Amino acid sequence: MTSVFYISSGIAVLATLLVVTRTNIVHALLFLIVSLLAVAVDLFVLGAQLAAALEVIIYAGAIMVLFIFVIMMMNLGKAEQEANRHRRSPAWLAAGVLSAVLLAELIYVMVANPGPPVGPGNDPREVAKLLYGPYVLAVELASLLLLSGLVGAYHLGRPEQSRAGTARRLDGSPADSSSGSARPTGLGRAERKTQLGAVVAESSGHDSAAIGGSNAGSGPVPTQEEPS
Amino acid sequence: MNIPAGHVMIVAAVLLATGLFGVIVRRNIVLVLMSLEIMLNAAALAFVAGGSARGADGQVMFLLILTLAAAEVSVGLALVLQLYRRFKTLDVSAAASMKG
Amino acid sequence: MMTRDLLALGPMLITAGGAVVLLLALAVCRSHAFASAWSVLVLAAALAAIPMTWPGAPASGDLLNLLAIDSWALAFWGIIFGSALVVCLLGFEYFRPLAVQAEEFYVLVLLSATGAAVLAAADHFATVFLGLELLSVSLFALAAYRRDQAISIEAGIKYLVLAGTSSALLLFGLALLYFHTASLRLSGLAGPLLAGHPDTIALYAGIALVLVAMGFKLGLAPMHVWTPDVYQGSPAPVSALVGSVSKAGAMAFMVRLAGVTLTGTPGVRNGVFYGLLVLAIASMFTGNLLALRQPNIKRLLAYSSIAHMGYCLLAVLPMAAGAALDRQAVFYYMLAHAVSILGAFGCVCAASENGREAQHVEDYRGLAWRRPVLAGVFSLMLLSLAGIPLTAGFLGKFYVLASGVRNALWLPAVCLVINSGIGLFYYLRVLGTLYQREEAESPDQFATSTAPSALLQPSPQLLLTHLTLAALVVLLIYFGLMPALASLPM
Repeated sequence: MTSVFYISSGIAVLATLLVVTRTNIVHALLFLIVSLLAVAVDLFVLGAQLAAALEVIIYAGAIMVLFIFVIMMMNLGKAEQEANRHRRSPAWLAAGVLSAVLLAELIYVMVANPGPPVGPGNDPREVAKLLYGPYVLAVELASLLLLSGLVGAYHLGRPEQSRAGTARRLDGSPADSSSGSARPTGLGRAERKTQLGAVVAESSGHDSAAIGGSNAGSGPVPTQEEPS
Repeated sequence: MNIPAGHVMIVAAVLLATGLFGVIVRRNIVLVLMSLEIMLNAAALAFVAGGSARGADGQVMFLLILTLAAAEVSVGLALVLQLYRRFKTLDVSAAASMKG
Repeated sequence: MMTRDLLALGPMLITAGGAVVLLLALAVCRSHAFASAWSVLVLAAALAAIPMTWPGAPASGDLLNLLAIDSWALAFWGIIFGSALVVCLLGFEYFRPLAVQAEEFYVLVLLSATGAAVLAAADHFATVFLGLELLSVSLFALAAYRRDQAISIEAGIKYLVLAGTSSALLLFGLALLYFHTASLRLSGLAGPLLAGHPDTIALYAGIALVLVAMGFKLGLAPMHVWTPDVYQGSPAPVSALVGSVSKAGAMAFMVRLAGVTLTGTPGVRNGVFYGLLVLAIASMFTGNLLALRQPNIKRLLAYSSIAHMGYCLLAVLPMAAGAALDRQAVFYYMLAHAVSILGAFGCVCAASENGREAQHVEDYRGLAWRRPVLAGVFSLMLLSLAGIPLTAGFLGKFYVLASGVRNALWLPAVCLVINSGIGLFYYLRVLGTLYQREEAESPDQFATSTAPSALLQPSPQLLLTHLTLAALVVLLIYFGLMPALASLPM
C-alpha cells in the first residue's frame, strides 16, 4: 500500500505538470483528469474512502464534464494553440522561479516537521455524523454557496436577450452579429443544463437531506427553467 | 500504514505550486481555471492528510472545498463564455484594457 | 437553548432566507421594483434584528460552534447589512435604464452580505472559507453584472482569477495550521500558540499564507493589483459593495486573526506584527501615491480605499493588548469608511445617466454650477475620506491615530499623518474640478467625453438615489459629531 501511494503521487505530480505545460487545451484537460484520479488513489490509500469516491464522482466527473462542455462549445481551433506557443520564455522563467520558491519553502516546512504518521482513516459514517451534527451550519452555508454560484452562472451564461441586443451593442460589427448570435444562443442553453446537472449531482452527493429543505436544490430550479 | 503525513503534505505542496505556476503563466482562461482547480484540489488533499489521524474533520473540509470548487468553476466558465462572445478569444490578455 | 441559538443567528437567517424567497418569487413573476423593495425590506429587518440579539450569544449550543456571535460580530453585521441596504437602494435607479436583467443583482447582494456576515463572525476554518467564498463567488458575478460591457467582464475575470488564487492559498494555509495544531477553531489556535508549540515554522508558513490571502481581500499593498480594475470595471453600486461590505467582513476577520496570533509565542507575534506593519505602511504609500495623478474617479476611490485599509491596520497592530479601545477604533474607522465610500459611489451613480457612468474626473468639471446639491454631497464625502473635521472620516482617523499613539507605534502613526497630507492633494484636486467653471468649447477635448454638460443635468428620475445620498449625509455628519457608536462595548 505504501508503494501505491508513492507511485500514484508521482503520477499525480507528473500529470499536473503536463496540464500546465500543454498547448492543446483538450490534452491538458485529459491530463487533469489523470491527475485527479491519481489523487483519488492517494486519498483511498490514506483511508479517506468517501473523499476518494467524491473526488472521482464530482471532480473528475461533474466538474470536468463542465470543462469539456465549454471547450466543445468554443470549438477551439489551431489558432488558440499557435497563440499560446509564441509568448513563452520570460513569463515562464519568472513564474517558474516564483512557484519554485513557494514549493521549496513549503517542502522545507514539511521536512522540518514530519508530523504524525497517517492514521487508520475514517469511516464515511463518521463524516456523515459530523456533517449533520456540529457542521450542519456549514452544510447550509455550502448550499448557499452553490446557490450563489448557480445564480451567477445563470446570469452570466444566459444567451443575450433581445432587449440587450437592440439597446446596446458597443462592439461587434452588425455583420457578424447575425451569424455569431445563433451559435451562442443554442449553446448557452446546453451550458445551463450542464450546470444544473453538476449542481444536482453535487446536492445528491452530500446535501440532499439538508435541514431546511435544501435551499440549493429547490430554490434555483424554477429560475433556471424560466424563459428569458 | 507507515506513510508519514508530511509526505502527503509534500505532494499537496507540489500540486499547489504547480497550480500557481499555471495560473501565472498560462494566458488561456480555461487553463487558468484548470490551474485554480489544481490549487483547490491540493488544499483539499492537505486537509485530508492533516486530519486523517484525528477523526473525520479533514474529510468534512474536503467536502466543503469540493462545493467551493463547483461554485467557483460554474461562475468561472460562465465568464469564459462571456469573454469568448465579446472578444472571440480565450486569451486573458485580450481583456486587459484597464490601466493606470 | 435551540431558540436562543436561532435568535442569535436571526439577522443572518433573515438575509439568507430573504434571498431564497426572492429567488422563488422571481420564478413566478419578474419585477425589478419588487426585487428591490423586497431586498431593502429584508436588509432593514436584518438590521432591526441586530439590537434584539445584542450582545450576542455565548458559543454554547450545537448550532453555534462554528460561529462566534459576539458583540464584535454584531457590530460589523450592522455595517454590512446597512451598506448592502444602501447598495440595493442605489442599484434600483442605476439598473432601471439598463438593458441588463436586474433582478439577480439583489439576490447576489443578499447572498454576498450573508457571506460577509459569516466571515465577520467566523470562528472555525469551515466558516472562514465558506463565508469568504460566499462573498467572493457572489462578487465575481456582480463585478461582471453588466455583461453588455467588455470592461465589466474584464473586471469579473480579474477578480475571479485573483480571488480564486488567494482563496486556494488561504485554504492551504488553514490546512497547514490544522496539520500542526490539530485545531480547526480559530480560538482553539490560541492554545498551541500560547503554549509555544514546537512546530513554529509550520505555524509561520500557515499564518503567512492566511495573511496573504486576507491581504488580497482587503486590497493591501503588494496584493492590491486587482482593486483598481475591479472598482473601475464593476457597475458603480457593485464597486460600493466591494468597498464597504467586503472590506468590513474581511477586516472583522483580520482583527480576530490578529487577536489570536498577536498573543502567541514571541516568534509568531513578531512575525505577524512586522508583517502587518509592512503591509500597513506599504498600503498607505502605494494607495496615495498612485491616486495622485489618477484621472478616473473610480480608480481614484479604489486607490484611496487601499490607503484607508492601511490606515485601519494601525489600530489592528496593537490588538495583542486586546484593549477594547483599539477594537472600537477599528469598528468606527470601518463604519466611517463605509459611509463615505458608499456616498462617493452614490454620487457617481447620481451623476451617471442612461447607463454611461461618469467615470472621468473631467466629467465632473463644473458640477457645482449645474447640480450644486450633488456637488456639495460629493464634496462632503471626499472631505470625509480625506479626514476633515466634522465628518465621520475625521473621527475614524482620529481614533485610529489615538490608538497608534497610545500604543507608541510611532512609525506607522507618522506615516499616517504624512499620508493624510498626500491624500489631501488628490481629494482637493477633485474638489477643485467640481467647483471650476466649465470652459466653453475647449477644442482639445476629445469626443470621448460626450458633452459632460448634457450628461450631468439634474434628472427627476433619480429621486431614490438622492434620498439615499441625503440619508448618508445625515449619517456622515451625525457620526462626525456624535461618536455614540464608538463606545459600544466590544
